[in-house]
Amino acid sequence: MPGEMISDKPERISYAYVDGGRTFSTVVGLYQEGKLVPLEGPYDPLPDDYVVGIVTEVKFSGYSVEINCPYPAFLSSREIRERYVMGDALFAKIQSVDEVRSIELADAQKLPPGKLVKVSSVKIPRIIGKKNSMVDMIKANTGCDIFAGRSGYVWIAGKGNAPLAEKAVKMIESQAHTRGLTDRVAAYLKSQPQVIIDQGAGAPQQAQQEPQGERRENYRRESRPQSGGYRGSGGSRPHGGGYRGGSGQNRQ
Amino acid sequence: MMGGNAGNKPALLVDGKRVDGRGVEDLRNVKIVARVLNDADGSAYIEWGKNKILAGVYGPSECIPRHDQSLYRSVVKCRYNMAPFSGMEEHGRSGPNRRSKELSKVIKEAFENVIISESYPKTQIEIYLEVLQSDGGTRCAAVTAAAVALADAGIPMKDMVNAVAVCKIDGKMAVDPGKEEDNFGESDMPIAFSPRTGDVLLFQMDGLLTPDELAEGFRLARNASGKLREIQVAAIRKVYDEPREERFLVIEKKQ
Repeated sequence: MPGEMISDKPERISYAYVDGGRTFSTVVGLYQEGKLVPLEGPYDPLPDDYVVGIVTEVKFSGYSVEINCPYPAFLSSREIRERYVMGDALFAKIQSVDEVRSIELADAQKLPPGKLVKVSSVKIPRIIGKKNSMVDMIKANTGCDIFAGRSGYVWIAGKGNAPLAEKAVKMIESQAHTRGLTDRVAAYLKSQPQVIIDQGAGAPQQAQQEPQGERRENYRRESRPQSGGYRGSGGSRPHGGGYRGGSGQNRQ
Repeated sequence: MMGGNAGNKPALLVDGKRVDGRGVEDLRNVKIVARVLNDADGSAYIEWGKNKILAGVYGPSECIPRHDQSLYRSVVKCRYNMAPFSGMEEHGRSGPNRRSKELSKVIKEAFENVIISESYPKTQIEIYLEVLQSDGGTRCAAVTAAAVALADAGIPMKDMVNAVAVCKIDGKMAVDPGKEEDNFGESDMPIAFSPRTGDVLLFQMDGLLTPDELAEGFRLARNASGKLREIQVAAIRKVYDEPREERFLVIEKKQ
């Protein structure tokens, strides 16, 4: 809970602040082993995240893409060979994010017809599961292709039992904070009738993801001010150039 | 807080009991339900005595109009509105008036102190407060509900704010005045707290108080603020203890 003490020592924990030598939470979240995991909240764009988005604007030099984030992302025409029109769904990697949160995308590929489901971005790790276990299970049981973008859009291909896959995703979203979820989803999928409708929509293979948990943690440690809360940092974020490109390991 | 001193003043304090049977340190019944709106990022519904208020939070989203946006922080916006049917008096036409603009401003400024807005540059966070039914102390109930809605939206805050008014009735300080006590009492003083530190984030006063009465009022309000925080935390906890996919909740009232 906001304002709840999570440690009586000053510690650098994401989504927490230090006041008077003690550490307090800023969000509704679960605190475990020195990590505070928020249960709700907007998407914080990070380089190397894979996201699903919708083209909202075609510009002279590229595309403006909506990725379920407070900030629009930009995909330069130089990065791609295809052409898109407004409303196309695509899967891309975040190449860079700067200090005023201009997002640049790369490695885009267009998604064939399917359904986009919007969920809260903090629940995406649960939908993907450890080593893609959850998403693989839904794929195996429904015959759908699924792309879970880190920002909160989940794309479900129009072949296989897409309605069931969507229900499973919604179920994970509403129960993301509970334990033993994988087993419950498995039981749910088994209990439903197995309808496989092949509409022959071929989807590109998913070059997924992970290990995101560790990397996000590194980023948080750098970017949050050490003490005295968030005020008095002069307004600018204190991480200088450490934001641009590179992988998690190089940014220590 | 509103309405004139029309009519005769009733006895507000008889044998330490108030018009509705409470003692001087008792709050009215407060009930909060979090996450009630389907399309808002965070929302809450509060019933505080006869007050009924809906709070909705949207954002952070791209700040519109662009000339309001800041490169350094998120802009907090607040709209407090009283429904035309919310009180016994005529509220006239709907839409912003002098009173609701003032309240929007003071509530916005209270939340600017706790929201960690530096995390989301170039964006706005909108708080909408709709008073459906009013019975004195709507601004305090609105602040309390807005804090729950903000926490529900996952917006980082230093603390869960709440607010409570204290009043002077028949020469004695009492917490949480109802409409009668508000209209006929000697003084009325709404205060918003950051309960963890005890910081005062909103402070207004009608009427006159001596320094001693002021100190007594603060003591009463701080006690009540602690109780309110527990209610707020319970409301948010309930969202996750009893997860439901559909948010909108119909409250059925027995006829």
